[in-house]
Amino acid sequence: MKPAATLWPRWPGWKHLPREARDTLFLLAVIGWTVMPHLSHLPAWCGLLCGIVMLWRGRIALANAPLPSRWLVVAVVIAASALTVMTEHTLLGKEAGVTMLVLLMVLKTLELRARRDALVIFFLGFFLVLTNFLYSQTLLVAAAMLVSVWGLLTALVLAHMPVGQPTIRQAGGLAARAALLGAPVMVVLFLLFPRIGPLWGLPQDAGAKTGLSGELRMGNIAELATDESIAFRLRFDGEVPPAQAMYFRGPVLERFDGVEWRQRDPFAQGFPPPAAELRPQGAPTGYEMTLEPSRLALLPLLDATPDTAQAAPRIEGVRAMQWPDLHWVTDRPLNDRLRFHVLAWTHFEHGPRRGEMALRSDLELPPGYNPRTLAWAAQLRQDPRYANASPDVLAGAVLQHIRNGGFTYTLAPGEYGTHAVDEFWLDRRRGFCEHFAASFVVVMRALDVPARIVTGYQGTDLAPADGYWVVRQSHAHAWAEYWQPGRGWVRADPTAAVAPDRVERSRHLAPRPGIVAQALGSWSPELLTQMRKGWEAINNRWNQWVLGYSQKQQLGLLERLGVQSPNWEDLSLMLIGLLSTGALLGAGWAWWDRHRQDPWQRLMGRVRERLTALGIEARPHEPPRTLAAAVRRRLGEPGHALAEQLEALDRLRYGHGAVAKPQPAWWRGFAAEAARLRRLASG
Amino acid sequence: VNPIARRWRAWWLARLPLTDSWTLTQGNIYIVPTRAGFVYAITLGVMLLASINYQLNLGYVLTFLLAGSGLMSMHLTHRTLRGLTLHLRPPQAVFAGEPAPLEIVVYSAGSTQRGAGPPQAGLRPSRRADAVLRGRVSHHRHGIGLCVQDEGVSYDDVPWVWIDVPAAGQATAHLSFVPAARGLHAVPVLRAETRYPFGLFRAWTVWRPAAQVLAYPAPERPAVPLPPAHAVGGEALRSRASEGGELEGVRAYQRGDTPRRIVWKKVARSGELVSRDTRIATQQELWLDYQGTQLPEAEARLSRLTAWVLAADRAGIAHGLRLPGVELSPDQGEAHRREALRTLALWAPAR
Repeated sequence: MKPAATLWPRWPGWKHLPREARDTLFLLAVIGWTVMPHLSHLPAWCGLLCGIVMLWRGRIALANAPLPSRWLVVAVVIAASALTVMTEHTLLGKEAGVTMLVLLMVLKTLELRARRDALVIFFLGFFLVLTNFLYSQTLLVAAAMLVSVWGLLTALVLAHMPVGQPTIRQAGGLAARAALLGAPVMVVLFLLFPRIGPLWGLPQDAGAKTGLSGELRMGNIAELATDESIAFRLRFDGEVPPAQAMYFRGPVLERFDGVEWRQRDPFAQGFPPPAAELRPQGAPTGYEMTLEPSRLALLPLLDATPDTAQAAPRIEGVRAMQWPDLHWVTDRPLNDRLRFHVLAWTHFEHGPRRGEMALRSDLELPPGYNPRTLAWAAQLRQDPRYANASPDVLAGAVLQHIRNGGFTYTLAPGEYGTHAVDEFWLDRRRGFCEHFAASFVVVMRALDVPARIVTGYQGTDLAPADGYWVVRQSHAHAWAEYWQPGRGWVRADPTAAVAPDRVERSRHLAPRPGIVAQALGSWSPELLTQMRKGWEAINNRWNQWVLGYSQKQQLGLLERLGVQSPNWEDLSLMLIGLLSTGALLGAGWAWWDRHRQDPWQRLMGRVRERLTALGIEARPHEPPRTLAAAVRRRLGEPGHALAEQLEALDRLRYGHGAVAKPQPAWWRGFAAEAARLRRLASG
Repeated sequence: VNPIARRWRAWWLARLPLTDSWTLTQGNIYIVPTRAGFVYAITLGVMLLASINYQLNLGYVLTFLLAGSGLMSMHLTHRTLRGLTLHLRPPQAVFAGEPAPLEIVVYSAGSTQRGAGPPQAGLRPSRRADAVLRGRVSHHRHGIGLCVQDEGVSYDDVPWVWIDVPAAGQATAHLSFVPAARGLHAVPVLRAETRYPFGLFRAWTVWRPAAQVLAYPAPERPAVPLPPAHAVGGEALRSRASEGGELEGVRAYQRGDTPRRIVWKKVARSGELVSRDTRIATQQELWLDYQGTQLPEAEARLSRLTAWVLAADRAGIAHGLRLPGVELSPDQGEAHRREALRTLALWAPAR
């Protein structure tokens, strides 16, 4: 027994692989490349299963072994579906859907028997490429997926080259050419296909950027903190509010299940949420906001903007609404850059002054989570100083604890487990805004004070550029609000207690640079800056021209083309017009091509016609020589001249110094001679 | 097959010209999406919906790129066939029930042999003419399948023969069909098809070759021994054969002499092809008679006669053939055998 040899067949070298094995391995490589970007957010078991199955399939291809039985594959599919339900709690929705798609795709390779099976893989593959864009649409992902599409098309071409052993390079070239030919159609459709809103309600997880999507799980905002792209720009009418007031309100998270924080479901049964009851104080701050496309249905306005005709944002084509928790939403995800004017009161009170039943849900803590933190809070409560203290006093005490308890603000706090708050609050004490805010809220609730998390942005770049204050994704922040009888909701930013810089000077923490950047930075900081600038410029173009291309840009394009006040109907008309023109051109070309022949072929057709008229049988495969012989046989002496002309044609076509195209003079001579013979025959 | 479809097909096929040289143009290539093509379209539809609902601009890019490539693949599929010329080499005669080989030469546009039938020495267009044609109308074509169209066979079971045709070159495909009965058979309708490059479209052409295949009667198996032969002028000839030590009765080689009849010793000595003289080698002659087969049925009699003709030819015995209304005088050799088989193949009983 040779275990090593039986476990893995010998690698014969790429050039010596049998065609079948080579094509299968190529397809496996393409599938692996397409699945790879998904691995970061797929459950670990799924990645492991994919790896095992693909190695198994590769081994089968190399050893030319039989494929596993269908029942085994079905059993694995059922097991994988069960695992998906266990990890995702559903088979629907984005995460579960992508998991299942990846699994089906990989398992289908075990069934690659016939060409039809192969086609299923290709179509699943194209869809899988699309799902990658749900997570990221950066230039890098686009380039990687372009490789995937090319690979899939190449494998498709290979499947339709049944003869011999065409090289991958050959098939790849042909696939690339087909894709290039298709590129003009793509450009026209991309530019002119009318962009419409989602056709039906989007699932909760549709947001491309997860940070402000209305859910919070430890680690979410850290993703945003690494994102230096611009969220919005501000230009203030008058005085610029101080940095401590620069809170831009996003979703307010009130429900906590032990792992995730979510927004209060406005349609849930039970008590309706307490009314906003916004009570602005002092003079308003007017400003103009330029919001970059966020693909979220959210307006992160400066806290607080009342829902009055004078203050609220008015945006064409978008309906903006204020939730009772004061944050502003829109009726559709924002894919255009928007510009609008708003009034905000940075001094305000809000929320019910008296206790309400509705506030009870802001006291709920999931049982079984973070027991040590609850015990810590109970102990604080037993302190006689705080026995009957007001929420303000309690909040002050908790913030004091954060300030003096040895907490550290860091963007790289490491992974937290099930009792994340316990771990953070009592053991590791390292985290950033979301850890501080979440722990603060849990502790306040444990102290019987209604409290909730507010997500949004905090702060701006240090200095305005061209009069615009820039807020970046890295300014994303989470803070807390607790309820004080008589005043309503009160903002408390526990992060400010430990890292006052973060709030007062609006300095966001930059993530640590990677190894390459570090090395490059120490060698030539200037080059690094230059490269970063160039890359940012390219990315900016990409964002503007490709990702930011929307109905507004479409209509702008039409306007530049000279259409007066265009709308989407003009867009459709133009698209239909262009496509029909293309189709007509294609049909016209086909018609022309139908009559296009090899000039020699056409000439021979005419020669045959004339000869047939003279009663000489001329078949298509006979060269002029043979026809000349036939003429001599049939017509004898009178046909001598005609036969000589045919022999001349033979020399023109095939002889020494043959010409590329038949000469019109020859045809004239031949036709005249043929006509003379016909007259002779009839007369 | 339902009768209306069959009549429709018959009518449609009857419209096609009978020709041994079939040039594929816009007019005789048909193209439709395959089932895979429809599935592709549905996939793209779902991808477009996903792009709209998740507002993915890159999703639009991907969907439209695939749509454009798919659309262009229609053109590429059609182009794979357009400009080809299919040429059927004159088929050989076979015995009924045996596969008749069909040799089909596929010339690409601009092929040097185009329009001139089989390759002929000395017939080449100039290099310049060649280059013009290559650049303009010729390209390498992949994955062209040819088959004999048979209504009784489901689409997946068709025995395709796949070929690639190089630019301005040619390729040969070997097909076959089985004539069930003796007689002259039209070559069945042939079909050339391609799904290259993506399998989303299927382009095909239907070709009715003009050539006919002669099917001899199937020889009876197991063979029955030859009927008794009558000696003819044996004595005189035999005496001549006994004279001298050397083999006598040789003559110059004639076309149709089998290798067995060539006197190789003499060939080696003189350098000229010489054969045994038939009149000497055969001392008996044989009449193969329709009436002498002692079988009730006409086709069975013809089968037995065929087997006898073959046996007699193998044995080198001069044999004549006597059918009602036809008589072939005794002789032997390749030409005679062919004539005898041909007579058997085409004989029809008098009414």
